[in-house]
Amino acid sequence: MNQKSDFKSYKKDIMGAAHNDRLRLALTRAIKSFRNNVKNALEKYPHTVELADEVKHIKEKSIPRMEELAEKAIKEIEENKGKGYIARTVDDARNIIADLVGTGKLVVTGKTMTGEEIGLRKHLEECGNEVFETDLGEFIIQQMGSRPMHILSPSIHVPREDVARLFSRIISDEITPESNIAEMVAAAREFLREKFFQADIGISGSNVVAAETGTLFIIENEGNIRLSTSAPPVHIAIVGMEKLVPTLADAYKVSEVTWRYANYTVPSYVSMISGPSKTGDIEKVTTYGAHGPKDFHVIFLDGGRTELAKYPRLKQALYCLRCGGCLYECPVFAVTAGNFGDKYFTGIGAVWAAIVNKDMEKATSIAYTCLTCGRCKQRCPMQIDVPEMIIELRKSLAEGD
Amino acid sequence: MGKRMESNLIPPGLTYLADNIISTQNILGITKEQSARWAEHLNLPKQAETIFFAGCGYQYSGQLEALMSLVRQIDKSVIGAELPMRFARFQKKLGLNLPGIYSKAISRGGAGEVQPLEAAIKVLRNLGISFGYLAETEPCCGAPLYQSGFREKFAANARQAYGKLKSAGVKQVISVVPYCTNALQNLFPQYIDDYDLEVKHFLEIVTEYLPSLKLRYPRKVKVTYHDPCQMVRYLNLVDEPRQILKAIEGIKLVEPEWTKGEWSTCCGGGGGFEAVFPELSQVLAVNRASELLETNPDIIITHCPGCVMQLKDGLRQLKVENVEVMDISQVIAAAMEK
Repeated sequence: MNQKSDFKSYKKDIMGAAHNDRLRLALTRAIKSFRNNVKNALEKYPHTVELADEVKHIKEKSIPRMEELAEKAIKEIEENKGKGYIARTVDDARNIIADLVGTGKLVVTGKTMTGEEIGLRKHLEECGNEVFETDLGEFIIQQMGSRPMHILSPSIHVPREDVARLFSRIISDEITPESNIAEMVAAAREFLREKFFQADIGISGSNVVAAETGTLFIIENEGNIRLSTSAPPVHIAIVGMEKLVPTLADAYKVSEVTWRYANYTVPSYVSMISGPSKTGDIEKVTTYGAHGPKDFHVIFLDGGRTELAKYPRLKQALYCLRCGGCLYECPVFAVTAGNFGDKYFTGIGAVWAAIVNKDMEKATSIAYTCLTCGRCKQRCPMQIDVPEMIIELRKSLAEGD
Repeated sequence: MGKRMESNLIPPGLTYLADNIISTQNILGITKEQSARWAEHLNLPKQAETIFFAGCGYQYSGQLEALMSLVRQIDKSVIGAELPMRFARFQKKLGLNLPGIYSKAISRGGAGEVQPLEAAIKVLRNLGISFGYLAETEPCCGAPLYQSGFREKFAANARQAYGKLKSAGVKQVISVVPYCTNALQNLFPQYIDDYDLEVKHFLEIVTEYLPSLKLRYPRKVKVTYHDPCQMVRYLNLVDEPRQILKAIEGIKLVEPEWTKGEWSTCCGGGGGFEAVFPELSQVLAVNRASELLETNPDIIITHCPGCVMQLKDGLRQLKVENVEVMDISQVIAAAMEK
């Protein structure tokens, strides 16, 4: 363990990013359009602000009950003939999924930050499987051998010319630096289309889960998650335990606030998945595996979340809806993107690094990169007080708990 | 997290500030003899129920500026990277003579650097408020201790500072530096039982008197206002500076479209950040200055010693010479002149 060089390389990455003009340009444009979109979405649906307060109460009540809600959800999922699991650790989660997947399989994944958190793709590849990320941003990142730089827009730091170069190499030399974005999107669609139908397994995350019915809510625009979770014969979902809320009505409210603060008036798709595909159309005999997956598995990941819930000032990190709005308000993120962070980005990422991933060096680096300026809190629909958490973490570093 | 963290993970730039507060009651380790000089000629009484709390930031801005420019050079140089982090340890190795730098800064710009404080005194006197100043016995609010994570030290310092203020017979505090104001107003009460000091920010007082004031700036100017993070998101002082600026004849206030008030962008000098990431802090200063320049102002007005320093540096890096950075206290003082 070499703390000195670790901070040194972290700082080097940060400064490298800060001096990268292309990154700056990409971020400046993204921030501008994001702010406009959020403003428009909130103006068009002004009730969202009050709904966010209600959702905050839902999260405050749900987080202390994560364990109970997970058990309830598993019971319901199994009644629906799916299978539910609680993974205590990241290793447990990887092992459960690796056992389900096996080896020599073709796997498609929708975007999942929890999958990223447990290093899922790499693990499945090491087990001898071929894995394709199907979210366009994730696909670009995977093919470039890079890592996501934003929780919702993972390839936010890649300008279009770089995407064109990449696609011309891996998909078709018909894509040139002169190609427009629509042509690139069409090329990716063409390339991935057959993967969805050849895949043995589809993997997704979930934005929120209703415990009373075991229903996963998945918000998206591309349609890749719909395909990943319906075309292959097996669907595996990996979900952080903090995503559980008691009822379907709660889950809907969480979803609406999430997408609105993620800058959408309404997303193209919200999937609600509660069990494997089934039909009773022949003699009323329920038969599983009609057009959708025959097997449905949901893994609820603890991985430090129940421990984090015990810290009075830090547990609010678990209220995060992952709308990504705070990132666009962070002055450091605006010049460094995801280099300021770990598995999760910017100041709140320090809390996850410290308690969920138990990486104190990383947590320290992030904690002291935060300006404590508080504009993230201003944006956050859950009013998560990141400066308060950062100062609490620094306190733990300096003086112990 | 374990029961106790390794304190060698704390950036030395911050332990440097913290050590100074504990040993000398100011962030830079400046001796008692060198402090409070700015007010020598103002003849402020040392004993009063209402005191003016000057804090470190404005008082030592000349020294801070000199120190930061040095640290930034080091941060950009080959030795770079982690050196500023270990500043305290390396300063000897490099042969840096800090007291020398400080006294040079004092002799060079002494009077100019403390203008915001003198201006605030002048304004308060014009308003007919009677108040004193504890001068070299003024305790440090210790905000950087809190920011850096030294909460026990901060609490101990707060109790000591409170004791000093109480034994000097202080009942009301007029503060200027946003960090000090937040510490005295919101943080101290968390660690002191029966805390009963009434803390008011300078701008709150000016705003109260606004209806009876006739303010006129010596020339016609277009200005923009930069909200310091502590002012808007910690102290909730959003309307006060705007009310004041709008009441001054000759001043036209033009603000950035989005990044104003509660949405103001940090200047990059936040909470010790500049001591850990000197170069990045400068990048952020340039960004914020650029946002403000989009309003085409003659003057960028703000109210925080850190922001003043950062924005000035931002303009310098952008090679913008026809835009001034001023503290709002200076603007008000100028608008009061007959």
